Amino acid sequence: MREYFRRFRFYLRLTGVAPISRRYFVMNLFDGAMAALGVIVGAWTSGPVQPRIIIGAGLGMSLAMGISGFSGTYLVERAERLRRLREVEKSLLMGLEDSIHGKAMRMAILWAATVDALSPALAAITSISPFVLAHRGLISVDQAATFSILIILTILFSLGVFTGRVSREKVILSGVRMLIVGVITAILLFLVGRI
Amino acid sequence: MVHDPTVKKIVLDVLKPHQPSIPELASRLVACHGVDHVNITLAEIDQNTESIKVQVDGSDVKLDGLRKCIEELGATIHSVDEVEVVRRTTQK
Repeated sequence: MREYFRRFRFYLRLTGVAPISRRYFVMNLFDGAMAALGVIVGAWTSGPVQPRIIIGAGLGMSLAMGISGFSGTYLVERAERLRRLREVEKSLLMGLEDSIHGKAMRMAILWAATVDALSPALAAITSISPFVLAHRGLISVDQAATFSILIILTILFSLGVFTGRVSREKVILSGVRMLIVGVITAILLFLVGRI
Repeated sequence: MVHDPTVKKIVLDVLKPHQPSIPELASRLVACHGVDHVNITLAEIDQNTESIKVQVDGSDVKLDGLRKCIEELGATIHSVDEVEVVRRTTQK
């Protein structure tokens, strides 16, 4: 197991996939959180809503975003990395499919696609989780919607903090910037729902 | 009494991609069978590749095993530039 992780980390280093997957993670977590915000605020402000519908719509959206993220990233990463491998093969005058480069490339493609698939699903499922409590009758729909919006805003703020740490900027400022995007979106969705 | 020739040192001209890096490559080669010491010098750097001089010292260096190790890392041997062989006496 330790040897497997050592090899995994070596392949991550070799392919340089770590910063790319970090970018995918932030981008798609943001997408997932914003899409969940759209579903929750849109449904909540449109009229009486059953928690079951929000849960169903949220899970369906997570699954669709996961499949879309995995297949899209798999195809794009594969095309880019295969092209790069062929260029290096041409320079070396030897095949690299069976070398660590081929193995690392295949692992990097799967890793990037998995991160791209799981991150929006993670954000969406976390965001709709209060509606499970509402479905069980433990809290009201209004309370569930409020908790969901708070969870989404927390995810957005955390993403801002994370990107602020990556860029070595002021983390709070970066978090607030991301939070403002979420608040503006929520207000717009609220206004649209009231029409 | 049999006198087996044993390779103690080989200097190779190797062409490799930029990754794995030279320290990483050296660490991997030193783990190959019969290798005790690896010294790598960068000779030339290109857009996709690096030419390096690899000096390998060991108690019993096998060129075929070394070639396999190098090719697994995505590098290729251009030429064998230097070899040092000693006679090892074994009891049969």
